[in-house]
Amino acid sequence: MSTQVHANLTDEQVRQISGNLDEPEWLLETRLEALEALSELDMPDVIRTPGRDWTNLHELDFESLVDPLNAAENKDQVGPDEVDVLPWSEAVQEHEELLREHFGSVVDPQENYLTALSTALFSTGTVVYVPEGVEAEDVTIRTEQNSRSLFNYTLVVTEESSSVTILERQSTGSAEPRSANGRAAESGDAERADEQYYSGIVEVVAGENSNVQYGSLQNLSEEAYNFSLKRGSAGTYATIDWIEVNLGTQLTKSGVSTTLEGDSSETQIVGAFYGHEDQHFDLDAKVWHRAEHTTADLVTRGVTDDVARSVYEGVQDVGRDAWDTSSYQRENTLMLSDESEADASPKLIINNHDTEASHSATVGQIDREDLLYMTSRGISPRAARNMLVEGFFVPVLEEIAVDELREDLESLVATRLRQRA
Amino acid sequence: MSSEQDHLKETDTEARFEFKKEQNAAVKSEKGLTEEVIRMISDDKDEPDWMLERRLRALKQFQNMPMPTDWPGQPDLSELDIEEIVPYIRPDVDKREGVDDWTELPDEIKDTFDKLGIPEAEKNALSGVGAQYESEIVYQNMQEQWEEKGVVFMNMDQAVKEHPEIVKEHFMTTCVPPSDNKFAALHGAVWSGGSFVYVPEDVTVEMPVQAYFRMNSEGMGQFEHTLIVAEPGSEVHYIEGCSAPKYGTHNLHSGGVEVFVKEDAHVQYSTVQNWSKNTFNLNTKRAIVEENATMEWVSGSMGSKATMLYPCSILKGRGATDTHITIAFAGEGQDIDTGAKVYHNAPNTKSTIESKSISKDGGRTNYRGLVHIADGAENSSTAVECDALMFDNESTSDTMPYMEIEESKVDVAHEATVGKIGDEDIFYLQSRGLDDDDAKKMIVAGFIEPITEELPIEYAVELNRLIELEMEGSLG
Repeated sequence: MSTQVHANLTDEQVRQISGNLDEPEWLLETRLEALEALSELDMPDVIRTPGRDWTNLHELDFESLVDPLNAAENKDQVGPDEVDVLPWSEAVQEHEELLREHFGSVVDPQENYLTALSTALFSTGTVVYVPEGVEAEDVTIRTEQNSRSLFNYTLVVTEESSSVTILERQSTGSAEPRSANGRAAESGDAERADEQYYSGIVEVVAGENSNVQYGSLQNLSEEAYNFSLKRGSAGTYATIDWIEVNLGTQLTKSGVSTTLEGDSSETQIVGAFYGHEDQHFDLDAKVWHRAEHTTADLVTRGVTDDVARSVYEGVQDVGRDAWDTSSYQRENTLMLSDESEADASPKLIINNHDTEASHSATVGQIDREDLLYMTSRGISPRAARNMLVEGFFVPVLEEIAVDELREDLESLVATRLRQRA
Repeated sequence: MSSEQDHLKETDTEARFEFKKEQNAAVKSEKGLTEEVIRMISDDKDEPDWMLERRLRALKQFQNMPMPTDWPGQPDLSELDIEEIVPYIRPDVDKREGVDDWTELPDEIKDTFDKLGIPEAEKNALSGVGAQYESEIVYQNMQEQWEEKGVVFMNMDQAVKEHPEIVKEHFMTTCVPPSDNKFAALHGAVWSGGSFVYVPEDVTVEMPVQAYFRMNSEGMGQFEHTLIVAEPGSEVHYIEGCSAPKYGTHNLHSGGVEVFVKEDAHVQYSTVQNWSKNTFNLNTKRAIVEENATMEWVSGSMGSKATMLYPCSILKGRGATDTHITIAFAGEGQDIDTGAKVYHNAPNTKSTIESKSISKDGGRTNYRGLVHIADGAENSSTAVECDALMFDNESTSDTMPYMEIEESKVDVAHEATVGKIGDEDIFYLQSRGLDDDDAKKMIVAGFIEPITEELPIEYAVELNRLIELEMEGSLG
C-alpha cells in the first residue's frame, strides 16, 4: 500500500469513538484489535489479468479522506413497532447479548484492510431485531453523509419464522463537507476538498424459516469513494434476498454475498448499476452453498456510459456437502459509449456433483434493429434510445419486490438518461 | 457395442500407453538450471551464437521471475522442483537431425512409436510425421508432393541452421517472448526439438502433419518448440500427440508453440495430450492471426498430474477468426486447469470457444479463460460455452472466465453449465440393454462429440479410446 492510513490513527481515537457510544469493553477490544491488525492486512482482492488490475484501490487516498473523530450525518431509522430498529448507541445498551453473539460473526472484522478500518472507526450504525413469528415491512434506514468520512455498521437478526423488508439508502448532504482539523483547507488541496469516503458493513443473520429482504440504494456524491460489504448467513429454510443498486460515487467497491448454512435455504441477489462520466464500479455477488437442497439466483444488469468502467464478479461456490444444489447466475451489461469499459467474471466452483448450476454473461450495445424499428415508427432517436435503456432494466426491476425501491430506481435511471445529450 | 469393446480390448491399449523403455542416452545434462547446462545444450546442438544468447537471456528472465502462485484456484505446483528436473537428454541415434525411415531407428525407439501406432497413422492419414524421443526429434518425414510445393516440415533444431532468417524473426520474439511467464522463460532457456512448419503462399496441405512427443526417462523435462508460419492464403492442420510412462519422480513438460497465421491463411492446431499422471504440463501456446485469417485450436487434455494450458489467439488483423475447442478429463489426483485466451485487437474479429470437461474420482477440472476486446475492435463478437460433467462427489469442476470489453459495438456472450451425469439417461440406456458402464461411456462419448467431430477419424477414435481407458477401473 502506498498510503498507510494507520500512521494517523491512534488507540486514543478509537477509545474516544467507543467511549462516546458507551460501548462495553469487549467491543472496544474488538475495535482495538482491528486497528492493530491494519498493518498486517491486505486490501480486498481485485481481479487481475495479465498486465491489468480491474480496480485500483490504491487510488483511495486515506491520508486526506479519513477523519475519524468527525462523523456527521443525518439518519432516519424507522420501522413498525413490533420490530426493534435501534441506533447503534441504543442497541449497545438494550441488546448487548445479541451483539456479543452476532457482531463480526458473518463478516470477519479482520477480513481485509478496509473491513478492519471500518470496524475500528465506525461511529454510527443500526441494529434491526425481528422477534419470532413477527412479519414486518417497511424498515427504512436512511443515511445522509455530511462529513469527510463516515463508517457505518448494520446488523440484522431475524428469529424463527419471522420476516422483514429493509430499505437502506446512502446519499451525500448538500452542505460542504468539513474536516475537523481543516486539513484539506490548510493543505490547499482544493481538488480533494469535495472528496469523501463512505464505508459500510452489513451483517444479516437469518434464523430458521425466516425471510430477509434487504434493498440498498447507493446514490452518494460522484466525488465519493465507497467500500461496502454486505453478507448474510441463512439458516434452515431461511431466505435472504438482496437488492443492490449502485448509482453514485467515483469509485465503489461493493460486495454482496450469502452463505447458505441451513438445509433448504435460499438466496437471491439482484443488482443494478448505471455508471457514467468517470465512475468506476467494482461489484461482486457471491453465494456459498454449504447445506443440502439450497437454491441461489443471481441477476445483475448494468449500463456503462461516457468513460465509466464496470467490473463484475459473480461466484457460485458449491461445497462438498451441498447435495441437491440449484444455482443460477445472469449478468448483462449494456454499453452506451465507446469509451466505457465493461469487465465481467462469473465463476463456478463446484465440489458436489449433485448440482444444477449455470451462469451466463453478456456485454453489448443497444440493438440497432430495435432502434431502427422504433425510429421508423416516428420516435426520435434519443427517446427511442432512452426507452430501450429503460427496457433493459425491466428484467431486474421485475425482481425487485420493494415498490419504493423499484420506483426510485426507475426514476433515477430516467433522470440520468435525460441528462444525457 | 460389446463387439466393439472386445475389439478395443484386443488392441491392448493399456500397454500401449503404460510401457516404459530402458533409456539409452548419448548425452544427458545435469539436473537443474545453470548457465553451464544451457551452454552445454547449445554446444551439443552446435547452435549459432544468437540462439545461445537468446537462451542465456531467457535463463536470466527465468531466474528473476517468481513462480506463479497467486492465481485464484490454480493447481498446486509445490511438488515441482525445477532443480531436480533433467532438462536435456539426447537419445543415442546416429543421425542428429533424425531419420526419415522408421527402420533406421534403434529398436527401442522404433518399438515405442510402433506401440503408439504412429507409423500406421502416417501411412493412412498424414502428410508428414515427426517423432520426438526425450529432447530430440528422432524421425521426420514428409510426403514428397508437399516438399515440391515448398512446404517445410522439419525439426526445430535443424530449422535454426537451415532457415535462420525466418527463425530469427519469429522465434520467441513478438508471439511468446520469454518474459511472458516463468515457464515461457524456462522454455526459452532449455528448449530442444519440436517442429518447424512453413507453408508457402496459397498452398493447402490437404492431410494433417503430425508430431508425436514422448518422454521416456524418469525426472526429465521436455521443452519442445513448435513454430508454424502459414503464409497468406495457405492452409495447414498440425497435430501433436504426447505421452510418457509413469515414474516415481515428477516429469515436466513445458512446450512452446508459436503460430503465425498470415492474411487469409487457415491453421488448425490439434493436441491430444496423454502425459503420465506424474507430469506437470505447463505450456504456452499462442497464435498471431492476421487479416481474414482463421486459427483453430483443438485440445484434448487427458493426462498429466497438473496442466496449465491456455492456448491464445491474438486477432490482429481485421476480420480474423478464432475457434477454440477444448476437452479436459480429470481423474484421480489430476488437476486440469485449461481454457483459452483471445485478444480482439482489430474490427470485425470473431471468436468461438467451446469447452467440455469431465471430472471423476477426485479429479479437478477448471475452465480458465480470458476474452479481451480492445477499444476500436468494433463489430467483433465472441461466444463462450462451457459445459462440465461430474461423476461423483469427490471431484471438482470450476469455471473461471474473464471478459474485458473496451468496445461498445460488440456482441459478447458467455454461458456455462455444470451438472452430474443424468440418472434418467443412464436408466434409459440400461432399459435398452446396456450395462451401467457402457451407458456411462456412451453418454460421455455423446458429451464430447462436438470435439471429436473436429478431429480426423483416427484421432477421434484415439480420443474416445483414451477416455474409455480413463473411465475403466472406476466404473468396472
